[in-house]
Amino acid sequence: MKVSTKGRYGLRALVDMAANSQERPISLIQTAKRQNISLNYLEQVFGILRKAGIVASVKGAGGGYKLARSAGSITVKEILEALEGEFSIIDKNGEEDQDAVQRAIQELVWDEIDRQVNELLGQRTLEQLVTEYKENLDYSSNMYYI
Amino acid sequence: MKMSTKGRYALEIIVDLAMNSTPERLESLKNIAQRRNLSEKYLERIIKALKQRGLVESVRGAYGGYCLTVPCEDITVKNVLTAVEGELTPVHCLTKESDCGVSCDLCPTRNTWGSMWKTITNTVENITIADILKRVDEINDEP
Repeated sequence: MKVSTKGRYGLRALVDMAANSQERPISLIQTAKRQNISLNYLEQVFGILRKAGIVASVKGAGGGYKLARSAGSITVKEILEALEGEFSIIDKNGEEDQDAVQRAIQELVWDEIDRQVNELLGQRTLEQLVTEYKENLDYSSNMYYI
Repeated sequence: MKMSTKGRYALEIIVDLAMNSTPERLESLKNIAQRRNLSEKYLERIIKALKQRGLVESVRGAYGGYCLTVPCEDITVKNVLTAVEGELTPVHCLTKESDCGVSCDLCPTRNTWGSMWKTITNTVENITIADILKRVDEINDEP
């Protein structure tokens, strides 16, 4: 039961990019370095995020990627859905031929997990993740200089 | 992100045992496998993990079989799922060392995955096997 590499790396890189771009387009080279992800892979992931309307690419000198909208309006739910599809704890196939035991488990357990997790992901915004990330960076750099 | 079939079947098996066995009347592997449409071999592997967790006991011999060791209102879905799946973490690095090359203290997403883990855990901690049995009865009573 794990989130895919695309979901993990994509979200991590997006937060890093958003924390460093300050609304100007930035190249993915620094994000790739900081997050230890290959540039090639990152370009693919950002291509998906661009199609989903989460980031925008700017061509030419000084070009690169920036957020397509404000970080506060982008939820983790829509980022993960773009990268790996809607969160669902089990495959939804074969729900028609469920017996009473399977149906009860489906309704009480699997549907409930989906509901709770999707609610959580829908409430968390990219802005929150960027804030947390910056706090972590500040904290660790203070620790370093003290 | 998906739960494995092990977790799904483990829950079905526990519910099946709650419905069809008592310490006085054990249920055979064969009957459970037939009702749950599982191979006996796969079933045995899952039951072994449930036994290790102390949720199921078995008696060998001609009158042998399986039953639950605990009343079903005291067994949570979390007990069953973690017995076969381990911790219900959405990413490995919450409980195991990470190989991503970024320090966990600086990870931009650790907190989000941690919240997801907590949400999943809290949800399954609050559902018991007795709740599921009640729902099964309701479904069976439907016209």
